[in-house]
Amino acid sequence: MSAVIETHKLSKWYGNVLGLSDVSLQVNPGITGLLGPNGAGKSTFMKLVTGQLKPSIGRVLIDGQKVRNNNGLFGRVGFCPEYDAFYEGVTGWQFLTAMLRLYGFDTAETNARAEAALDLVELRADKDRPVRAYSRGMRQRLKIAQAVAHDPEIIILDEPLNGLDPLGKRKIIRLIRDYRSEGRTIIVSSHVLPEIEAMTREIILIHQGKILATGDIHSVRDLIDTHPHVVSVTCDRPRDLAARFLGEDYVLSVNFGSAPQTVVVETSNRDRFFGRLPGLLVETGIAVEEITSPDDNLQAVFDYLVGK
Amino acid sequence: MNPMSPAPRQSFFQAWGRVFSVFFAFGRRSRRFKIYVALSQMPVVIAVFAQVNQAFQGQGFNSALLFFSKGIMSFDLQFLVLLLVLFYGTSICLEEVEGRTLMYLTTRPVPKAAVILGKYAAYILFLVIMINVGIILSFLVLNLRTVGNLSVYPVLFQYVGVLTLAILAYTAFFTLLGTLSKRALVLGLMFSFGWEAVVQYFPGATQRFTIAHYLKSLLPSQTTTGGLSFLTYRLEPTAPLLSVAVLLLLTVVFLTAACLVFSYKDFILSTD
Repeated sequence: MSAVIETHKLSKWYGNVLGLSDVSLQVNPGITGLLGPNGAGKSTFMKLVTGQLKPSIGRVLIDGQKVRNNNGLFGRVGFCPEYDAFYEGVTGWQFLTAMLRLYGFDTAETNARAEAALDLVELRADKDRPVRAYSRGMRQRLKIAQAVAHDPEIIILDEPLNGLDPLGKRKIIRLIRDYRSEGRTIIVSSHVLPEIEAMTREIILIHQGKILATGDIHSVRDLIDTHPHVVSVTCDRPRDLAARFLGEDYVLSVNFGSAPQTVVVETSNRDRFFGRLPGLLVETGIAVEEITSPDDNLQAVFDYLVGK
Repeated sequence: MNPMSPAPRQSFFQAWGRVFSVFFAFGRRSRRFKIYVALSQMPVVIAVFAQVNQAFQGQGFNSALLFFSKGIMSFDLQFLVLLLVLFYGTSICLEEVEGRTLMYLTTRPVPKAAVILGKYAAYILFLVIMINVGIILSFLVLNLRTVGNLSVYPVLFQYVGVLTLAILAYTAFFTLLGTLSKRALVLGLMFSFGWEAVVQYFPGATQRFTIAHYLKSLLPSQTTTGGLSFLTYRLEPTAPLLSVAVLLLLTVVFLTAACLVFSYKDFILSTD
């Protein structure tokens, strides 16, 4: 599978301030989550990818073509900015149709696409209200509508779930997943990790302008050789299981979890742990109710990677 | 929606037309448009006030044309036009940067030059209509008694033409200034009421470094002669055709430069 978006040694400086440093990566069709705290460089990365900023060093390619000032490409890309910014005095309908007209659609197609996009984000009933009278969540949905109304193949969404209520978030997450199933390429940024986790397991971790890790959450997790993995096992004889684990050299610590019948094992080698676990359970005849890995939560990985 | 159907390819002219129509529509709905329309009609208020004043004195307006050319036109050309054009011209780029709406334009399949030229055309249309309506109405108010006299109208058309050229040239300059600096408004004020206001009165060739010089060269003769005239302002006019050519050339140069800057400059929005 060839990468849709490629960056090579991409760096961006704002004067003396580092925005992004030496980012080389490839983004394939599907959803890619861009994770990092505020000011990590997520928005800078997205602006470079959408040609809004000029790289200080390196280059960005979409389907092998340079992005900046490449107007032929922009018809295939949709961008939802983080900013809550709109033109003065316009209604949702006027804003959306104006944005669509800039793609070159005729009036009939503009109206049809605007209506479809407003339906997607459930704003059709409010389309004739001034945008300034919209709630934060409605404005956020309108921004998403303008990003997808022209049916782009590549969708770049900067913090798209900001300001949405839980129900609204669920709907947008479902929408983004639907786009993935249509074979589109989607980059979604967030600093709220469970939100990204709900959409994808393909992540890029970014901090202080640098890419800390990329790939599937498990692959990323495997990169962290020195960081102990935590596995929680709920079983009928946790103390027996704990005793057996203490004899294994890849086990760093064993604790009893707050939940009853749970033993929490810290291991330096996830593969060896999971390779050994089934045999151990068979040998001891321990009945396991649940095995979970709290570390699989992106928050844990992210906290570890950024040194918390 | 037809999934994956790409947006149609647009020519530069089509993209320019789209930008023009979008910002002509947006511009009409903005609050500032209403304020600027009200401001642009100040010459009418002045003309009405002058007429009422004359009527109370029990006499007609005998020097209407003089009052129009020396009073109204000077006010328009040296203050009102500069002010309105400064606000509109600098805002072409700056309102997108300060309002953080720039990304809606730079992520569309529209050449950046078409954005500048489309917005420029939309705002020029506003300015030409509002300023020239004001000047025509004030002219008619001042010439109430000679409204039927067709011989006065060529002068009016001459003034309308000069104002239109002023709008074109100054707006182009302020458009460039708006793409170059976030302090374009302050720099524009210094240019308008500093450089333009002062240097145009310098003797010799120096006054040719102002836009005002070429505009005044197109107005009916303002050369003062006799007495102590050598101590006062002396316009050394450029030939009318050359003046028009210089003004149009300046407009093209400023706009080209603005398009180039807008296309290649990195605009950093406030929370980057």
